[in-house]
Amino acid sequence: MKPRRADLASALLRSFAIQASWNYHTMIGGGMAFVMAPLLARIHAGDPVALREAMERHAAEFNAHPYLATIAVGALARAEHEGAPAETLGRFRTALSVPLGALGDQGVWAGWRPFCVLSAVIAFLVGLGPVAAATGFLVVYNLGHVLVRAWGLRLGWDEGLAIGGSLRSGRLQTLARSLIPVNLALTAVASVLLIARIPAGAPGPWICGLAAGIGMTGYLVPRRVTPFAMAALFLSLAAWAL
Amino acid sequence: MIGVEITAGEWLLVCLAGALLGLDGIAWPQAMWSRPVAAGTIGGLLFGAPAHGFLAGAWLEIVASRHPPFGAARYPETGPAALLAGSAYALSEAASLGALIAAVLVGWAVGWIGMHSIAWLRTVNSRLVADAASLPGGPGEVVGRHRTALRLDALRGAALCGALFIPSLLAVRLAETFRPDQLGTRPAAALAAIGLAGLAGCGARALGTRRDRWGPVVMGIAAGLLLAWLVA
Repeated sequence: MKPRRADLASALLRSFAIQASWNYHTMIGGGMAFVMAPLLARIHAGDPVALREAMERHAAEFNAHPYLATIAVGALARAEHEGAPAETLGRFRTALSVPLGALGDQGVWAGWRPFCVLSAVIAFLVGLGPVAAATGFLVVYNLGHVLVRAWGLRLGWDEGLAIGGSLRSGRLQTLARSLIPVNLALTAVASVLLIARIPAGAPGPWICGLAAGIGMTGYLVPRRVTPFAMAALFLSLAAWAL
Repeated sequence: MIGVEITAGEWLLVCLAGALLGLDGIAWPQAMWSRPVAAGTIGGLLFGAPAHGFLAGAWLEIVASRHPPFGAARYPETGPAALLAGSAYALSEAASLGALIAAVLVGWAVGWIGMHSIAWLRTVNSRLVADAASLPGGPGEVVGRHRTALRLDALRGAALCGALFIPSLLAVRLAETFRPDQLGTRPAAALAAIGLAGLAGCGARALGTRRDRWGPVVMGIAAGLLLAWLVA
């Protein structure tokens, strides 16, 4: 039986908790079964054996970005509805995992999220109130967040086993990459403003120049500079106490 | 004397906020109220100083940016960390540089403790859901156990914040007992600026960019200096 609109809505709501049982064996496998349960119950209505087999299939090892996992949910539900063989479903599941993870990491974790967070930090540092800046961040960020989950579920259901074509089209990657230079600039702006707002008063021009140099060195060789920069923060506290 | 008065109601509020922030990080709904700027502001709001909470959160945001949550990577848990840092800085008397740096370092330490608690919960989840699909309860068993994992994560967040709230406050208050003169604050401010700039540079690179794309960083530094001059 074809899932109803209410089943898709239920799956969308459940997708917000897809990572609740994240573990080192099946990763978000349990979450996938949890999200797909209303869809599978409709698709396999009246056939408890088929339902049980489908739940077992989708509770198996799987990982993807939590927002874009709705693409996999929609596509797998469509394939289940169209009666795809278990072997095909297994291969399809495995094939989806890596591109959905990479796309989400680049588009959401390295793109949309830092863009919204850093914009809020800059807005606060140039005079917006803290509650307005934090609320603005949450509203704007979650507009994108909810949209991505809903769009993913719809796209997955519409495309089914043919979803690979849409993921390979490159439009999503282009959009994700376009935010990276913007976020680099926003990181620099936010850091300069934070340094200018140090409670003891902004350091002089020589120290600011040195800080800029160390920031650039951190960008070029992050692994070497991270411990040095953390040590500087600890030493700052020690200098304060001494 | 570095004591601080906290009512049982305030402590419970912090535990409740810790549960919601701990949940948001991974389990539900990932709406990012667990990001330091939001969680720090919540911590500040609980004690009447949201601006202090936001500032501590903004520093933590830069410190934590070196560890993006790509794949199954381990990274500091920012929600409870920023809640406690924001609360502790909001409750400091003079909101000095020493208190801010202490709050940020407390948040950094809580973040890594939180990460270890998440790793522990993930091993519990392995036993809880890994074979749930083939359990006697059938398909309903998977759903039920997934919901149990959700509740456990809320408990974890609450317990983490409940246990570390008072120690965090005391650490920041201790830093505040030191009041260096004007000359004494300069080295501390210089080291803080150098540390923050270095971590920001490392965080920018962790966005998945290439080494040779430093043009936007330089433009950002110039724009930041201009903005700082305009705002001053």
